[in-house]
Amino acid sequence: MPNPVTSTEPGQSQSQTQVVPLLPLEYKSHSDLLDDACTPQGSIKPEWEYMLGGLRDLGPEALRERAQKARRILRDDGATFNIYDGEGGPGGSWELDPVPYIIGSEDWARIEAGLLERSELFNLLLRDLYGPRTLLRHGLLPPEALFSHGGFLRACQGIQMPGEQELIVHAVDMIRRHDGTMCVLSDRSQAPAGAGYVLENRTVMSRVFPSLYRDSHVHRIASFYQRLRHKLISLSPSDEAPLIALLTPGGQNEAYFEHTYLASYLGFSLVQSGDLMVRNGFLWMKSMDGLKRVDVLLRQIDDAFCDPVELRSDSRLGVPGLLEVVRSGRVVVANPLGSGVLENPIFLKYLPGISKSLLGREPRLDSVQTWWAGDDDDLEFITANIRELIIKPAYRGTGISSVWGGDLNDEELNKLLATVHSKRYQYVAQERLQKPHIPSFANGALEPRPALLRTFSVASDGTSYKILPGGLTRIGTDTGSGVISMQSGSPSKDTWVTASEQERTASIDSVPDSARIAADSPLLSLPSRVVENLYWMGRYSERAEAALRLLRTVFVLLRGEEPISPNAQKILLHTVSDITATLPGFTIAPQELLANPDEELLDIIRDGSRAGSVKSTLNSMLASADESKELLSTDTTRVINDLRDAMVELDVVLDSGLTSAPEEALDPLVTTLTALSGLMHESMVRGIGWRFMLLGKRIERSLQTLNTVRCLATPVVDDADQTTLLNALLVSMEVLITYRRHGRQRRGIELGLELVLLDDRNPRSLLFQLEQLQQHLAELPKAETKPGELAEEDRALLEAMTSLRLARLPQLLETSSPTREELGQLLLQLKQLLQEFNRIISDKHFDHRTDEQHLVTSFWGEQ
Amino acid sequence: MRYRIKHITRYNYAARVTRCYNLANVIPRDTARQRCLSNRITLSPLPSTTHKRTDYFGNKAFHFEIQKAHSELSITAVSEVEVADNDNAPNLDLGIAYKDAQEYFRKSSKPEIIEAREFLLSSPLIETSDVLADYARPSFDPKRSLKSCVADLTRRIFREFTYDPHFSTIATPLADVLKHKKGVCQDFAHLEVGCLRAMGIPAKYVSGYIETLPKPGEQKLVGADATHAWIAFFCPEEGWVEFDPTNDSMAGNQHIVTAFGRDYFDVTPLRGVIFGGGAGPALSVSVDVSRMAGPQA
Repeated sequence: MPNPVTSTEPGQSQSQTQVVPLLPLEYKSHSDLLDDACTPQGSIKPEWEYMLGGLRDLGPEALRERAQKARRILRDDGATFNIYDGEGGPGGSWELDPVPYIIGSEDWARIEAGLLERSELFNLLLRDLYGPRTLLRHGLLPPEALFSHGGFLRACQGIQMPGEQELIVHAVDMIRRHDGTMCVLSDRSQAPAGAGYVLENRTVMSRVFPSLYRDSHVHRIASFYQRLRHKLISLSPSDEAPLIALLTPGGQNEAYFEHTYLASYLGFSLVQSGDLMVRNGFLWMKSMDGLKRVDVLLRQIDDAFCDPVELRSDSRLGVPGLLEVVRSGRVVVANPLGSGVLENPIFLKYLPGISKSLLGREPRLDSVQTWWAGDDDDLEFITANIRELIIKPAYRGTGISSVWGGDLNDEELNKLLATVHSKRYQYVAQERLQKPHIPSFANGALEPRPALLRTFSVASDGTSYKILPGGLTRIGTDTGSGVISMQSGSPSKDTWVTASEQERTASIDSVPDSARIAADSPLLSLPSRVVENLYWMGRYSERAEAALRLLRTVFVLLRGEEPISPNAQKILLHTVSDITATLPGFTIAPQELLANPDEELLDIIRDGSRAGSVKSTLNSMLASADESKELLSTDTTRVINDLRDAMVELDVVLDSGLTSAPEEALDPLVTTLTALSGLMHESMVRGIGWRFMLLGKRIERSLQTLNTVRCLATPVVDDADQTTLLNALLVSMEVLITYRRHGRQRRGIELGLELVLLDDRNPRSLLFQLEQLQQHLAELPKAETKPGELAEEDRALLEAMTSLRLARLPQLLETSSPTREELGQLLLQLKQLLQEFNRIISDKHFDHRTDEQHLVTSFWGEQ
Repeated sequence: MRYRIKHITRYNYAARVTRCYNLANVIPRDTARQRCLSNRITLSPLPSTTHKRTDYFGNKAFHFEIQKAHSELSITAVSEVEVADNDNAPNLDLGIAYKDAQEYFRKSSKPEIIEAREFLLSSPLIETSDVLADYARPSFDPKRSLKSCVADLTRRIFREFTYDPHFSTIATPLADVLKHKKGVCQDFAHLEVGCLRAMGIPAKYVSGYIETLPKPGEQKLVGADATHAWIAFFCPEEGWVEFDPTNDSMAGNQHIVTAFGRDYFDVTPLRGVIFGGGAGPALSVSVDVSRMAGPQA
């Protein structure tokens, strides 16, 4: 159990697992490494003392527990950063080091001033590059530096946003130098990643270190997000309440968590390419209640991918025709299309001159020294000093990564030099700065790790910007390691700008960081894709549950004390194939396989590549959950995490084949699915998404009930087998207890079917499902119908309901043939009606997208 | 000379197209030697929105969106263009020498030269290379006039390359065109632009139309004209000068410009995204260039 140790109770953790005596948490800098927490003499800098003192009091064991707690919260929040390791699917949790990066407020004031100026400068630069290009004409920037850069999108010439600011969000990567000043390594101006993770890091840290955080008087960050929200709202071209959408590439993107998190925090709709369309010169979102006009788009994809008509034609992430809507001013995209040009590192070389021209002074914040191979002198310098330089392409979109000349052998160096010489406009060289180290928690101690800070600016009033106090700190995975990149698994840190003693009395910023800005805001509208995914989440979860319950029942019967007949075994196994739709499976199996079904049963559970297997159904459900992630509560995310764990666990248990009691191995999954089912009822807002999720569940459960009854109750068998099959039906439908309570008077298949099909008090009966479906249907948006006329879906459902209610069980069960034909007929009719119902619902409410293709005339046409 | 140009682009689809978004470069721009007097574009089916604008290169871009399901799309552009007569052939031997011109482009700070330097760089479909420079070099005697060097290169391409409409597609790399010495006007224009850039001369790709005259005694066929492509290079004294490597000529009063660009990518006559349409949309293009009577404007 974690011990509630706080910084006010100097921490002697009482953890029982510890065997090693506690060492105090002391931080020692390495004498040969640049350190940002210590002076060159090795003593802790004043601004770090309070926080490090707090950790020292806490002790290593308690800090380890806090780190674990942080990890748990991140996991429950679904905080992931997908790293593609070549094994196919995305994976990877967001790593947060529990030791924050401390920046004193006086120091921060200087950094902030430099950043404000830099964002203003970059904004002016952007306006000039897509406008008059005076910088080129005045010789402050060689034309090749702009014209050869892949980020310069000629189609975006002349597009203007309302107001003075074109650059809305600007991120800057920087490190601390020996002299204590910050040095900028690069600028990010497309859709800078990280601001959402900053918020998550802060939320976690304030929960894990409540008193340390409170007493450190950390500058609040929430107002940054409010500014962003207000700025985007102010950009809306419409007079009505604007619809603002955050455009994400989708669940496969590395930072998808951040997209869902930001959209939900800011109260914006989270959309993907397919959710949007251009029509009649406007941008629209396909929502459940028709097309909704989008006023502002906060893009999380690079500009070149935003419109396949005019930009990259191979992109499937954008919206065809978007650029034209932007040109006409009917939608505003932030950052503006074309802003990627600012990431050009060649500009760093010319920045002092550019700044003097645009702002009247040289920038306060230094940038890393940059040489451009397009300049004759620079090329000579690069050629002579390549071993000491970092060589990188001017345009990130090429997929070529930067290299440190010192890492290359002679042959590689010559090859690189040849490339640089032949494409000289495309390459820059930069000095390699030693990264400063800061204390990080590793191996139970505080160790120095190299650190990189990413800051964020957002356009505010007039021409000014607002800077997020602090930012996203990333650290190397080892002391002295050169590379820090999220893709290579570098952990992150919260960044605390701490107030000085005098400031601590004054309140810094009253808005708490954890408060969600706008849940259920009017700006939020659901794309129909999300609703469709909720519907499928409902269906898949129910399908998996039905399969698991049946499998559990079958395992118990097959391995029970009383042997069952080969015929009953055959029918049970056929039912398994039928219910899981892993056909033909057992239905065409020879006698030996039916007698030794373990391998096939195992397959049906764990073969993820087989459609219908439990694993594949659960994976489909998880994929649907991912697509609607922003609507799921933290509790739901937690249960979904448990489900993933249970699946891994099951794989381990089943690794050596079926155990003696395989049904027990399935229990955790059934329990988790039941919990999920409960949460769907209890912790979701009764919105349209919720309705569709339950609609999905009810439809699936109805179909599964019909199938199960058909498989187990239509064959006419001898009494012993009848008992076995009825038992299977009652157990898998969870009505055995009710059945038994009816006493000795009424037993047998008639009572069983009554409970499973017609008992409207039984939440698993078919009638109950149909009644629920009617209720949900009544609440769905609907087209007008004439008085007295039923909509198609109402008609199908009413017919199913009526046929079921009119059924007379004794009559249905009478038969002289080997199957109960009348029962079979009824079940078939109900199934067809429900499928019809389902088809109408999905046709009406879900988007069926036609494929797009690209059209380019070949030049010589008919020849 | 005054021309009326009718340019019809037609797509037939195997399956229904539910909607489409397009950008067409089919309106002749104004240039130093031509003026577009009128232009009318007719679309079938009717578009839901259209928009004409001047693009980055000064060309007339035409955007349209169709929201009506269709299985055939046709775009008919009818333009009237006045082209200046240039009867007296210029003396190519006059003017700045190649070497001086090259130097001038590097050093001049005149705004038009700064802008022209964009056309010295590689572009989406034209990668400048040593191979191209090696091919071009024999035409570029440093002491000769720039114009006569370009004229020589134009003539060599005309003489050494075979017009073969079956050899290349829009995706054929320049290296293949150079190796096999075959292609169509677009390839020759790309090749010459690439050669000029490799030799340090700013060069543009020009798309447009060329009037074809029937053989004496024959009737001119309807739709027999074609879209055409040639080049323009920057001459310090005169600005952009157009040469046609497919016909070994300077662009004269039979060359009507639609658009200038770095290469075909910038001036594609029609590009867009369609939803649906099935496999292999069938394209047909017809162009008529006819002389108009009437007073000179």
